[in-house]
Amino acid sequence: MNLHVHRLFWKFFISFWVSLILFAALVVGVASNYLDHIRERNSAINPFEHVARHVINAQQAVDRQGVEGLKIWARQLDRIEAVPILILNSSGIDLLGRPVPPVIIERISRNIDLPLSPLDHPRTHPLALIHLADGAEYRLFPDFEQVTLGRVLQRPRVMAVPVLIAALVSAFVCYVLARYLVSPIERLRSAAEMYSAGDLSLRVGPSLGKRRDEIADLAHAFDRMAERLDILMRSHKQLLTDVSHELRSPLARLQAALGLARQRMPGAHQPELDRIERESERLNELIGQLLSLARLESGVQTAKTESVDLGEMIDAIVADAALEAQARDCAIQLNNCSGMVIDGVPALLHSAIENVVRNAVRYTAPKTTVVVNVERGPQSEGQVLVRVRDHGPGVPENMLSRVFEPFVRVEDDRARNRGGHGLGLAIAERAVRLHGGVILARNEPDGGLTVSIQLPLLPPAKSKHGSS
Amino acid sequence: MPNILLADDDIELSVMLSEYFTTEGFAVDIAYDGETALNKATTKNYDLIVLDVMMPGRNGIEVLRELRRESSTPVLILTARHDDVDSILGLELGADDYLGKPCNPRVLVAHMRSILRRSTERSGPAAPDKVQIKDLEMHVGSRTVICRNVRVDMTSTEYSVLEALVRSAGHVVSKEDLSERALGRKFARFDRSLDMHVSNLRKKLGALPGGEERITTVRGVGYQYVTT
Repeated sequence: MNLHVHRLFWKFFISFWVSLILFAALVVGVASNYLDHIRERNSAINPFEHVARHVINAQQAVDRQGVEGLKIWARQLDRIEAVPILILNSSGIDLLGRPVPPVIIERISRNIDLPLSPLDHPRTHPLALIHLADGAEYRLFPDFEQVTLGRVLQRPRVMAVPVLIAALVSAFVCYVLARYLVSPIERLRSAAEMYSAGDLSLRVGPSLGKRRDEIADLAHAFDRMAERLDILMRSHKQLLTDVSHELRSPLARLQAALGLARQRMPGAHQPELDRIERESERLNELIGQLLSLARLESGVQTAKTESVDLGEMIDAIVADAALEAQARDCAIQLNNCSGMVIDGVPALLHSAIENVVRNAVRYTAPKTTVVVNVERGPQSEGQVLVRVRDHGPGVPENMLSRVFEPFVRVEDDRARNRGGHGLGLAIAERAVRLHGGVILARNEPDGGLTVSIQLPLLPPAKSKHGSS
Repeated sequence: MPNILLADDDIELSVMLSEYFTTEGFAVDIAYDGETALNKATTKNYDLIVLDVMMPGRNGIEVLRELRRESSTPVLILTARHDDVDSILGLELGADDYLGKPCNPRVLVAHMRSILRRSTERSGPAAPDKVQIKDLEMHVGSRTVICRNVRVDMTSTEYSVLEALVRSAGHVVSKEDLSERALGRKFARFDRSLDMHVSNLRKKLGALPGGEERITTVRGVGYQYVTT
């Protein structure tokens, strides 16, 4: 395993290891400190002082509830006291059945034989006596031998503070570690989202500073990928623009030559020249569309926005399309709704909607009606929804999301026969997106396609027409 | 025979176009770059200059800016089609009209004729020679405008737009109407030419003595020269 390559691995390994060691050391340290403290009491001048306190409590328990009371008290004491206090009867057996160390047995046997000195105060006497009602006697013995680590660890009152401190310390360590690991991943994620939204300018590497590990490597690899993508996208767009510009010069010459040819044959019927003129116009149109698509894709919009009455605009578009529809023996119907004012670039909005409407007229079956609906909604009042529904062959489900890509044809022969060149919907999609809207295509269950365009409306206060 | 100057860096295209224009009855000079175009335009008196915006070195916009300092010779600029920026900038600088390139030479000639007609137009016998509204005087015969006793220089297209508005002063002139009367062609959707000419006129003439706007925009309809 290579140390340099697996920095993150080692960061994980070492921080977990260190925090576990710290945790264990803290617990063991606190416990052994406590133990030492207890042991010190053993050798102190008056180690039995606190036993004397227990004796009083024990006697009170006995006075109230007899042997049973003593047992309950003994169990309670055992739970909170790190030093076990043995309660022995005259034959040296513990009341709770705990093992009794031989040292204590020895001391008992030694002391029992000795008469009690009148000077011995019961509170300070090592053989603190508890008298039961039936005359039996119990002695309290602190059993320092039994003060083990295990016993200390089992006493919550003793352990609460160190455990709490250890938990806080390790929580802090883990929090810092988790933040350290996750925050660059979060940055990578937001960068990836920006890339998918078309903005390839963001780089993650610089925000990581001097960090050098797998995540930093990932970020740098990610940045290189973005760089490469950016270059490719740019050159793709540049190519599109260059080609279109370069195509225009010969086209201009073609048109000039055509003009000269017509001058030299005045009055003659020239169907071939008409054809050349028509095709060169079409070529010109296509180049124009390519350029506006390239401009839309680049996201740089030079035209200023103004408030546009969408209803009026669609009225005019439908009126134009009606002629085209008539020529194809179909009809177009508009259900309009007034007061749809949006903030936008008129020419772009016009071309977006016109492309969709003309597309519908082009594909709808003869003797059918294309229906254009303009209404508020659907989710909120602040949106306008334009739906254009045709009665054409629709689009295969797997192609629905691709119809807005440039040059994607649903069926090759069909589009060509009807004069489309696969750019109209792509331009519409870019233009709608530039206005903060959404465009969707959906097949109708009874045949035909509905393209819906949703755009944000201007707030009513701002949509008052002002003079410019 | 109208004298025109064609400035375009595409030599082959220029040669063909000049041949076409000659047949259409123009006397054509050619310049292949901006510098030459400017030299020729300032030394010889042309009736019209056809200026390609996209030229290496000094481009059409710069030539136009330079030219407008000393001459109001009508200018038709050729811009890249679908490029609004150049056309708007050109009109703002005082171009009389613009046309997207590539274009049909027949359409180009139609535009040229329409500009020439405006610049050589003389008032008909019925029209009065002088129109005066408040501080504005228009001398139709000499196509000069005097505003607040100062002569205002303007291109012939700007003059035509102003004349059309002033003749209907107090009434709204629709963009369609104005386009046909002043520019000699049908109004095309999203054509910013009229807006630019009107904006130039506002700048040149200033506000009315009362401080109000001299020419108001009636949104979605057209323009009005204010009389009250």
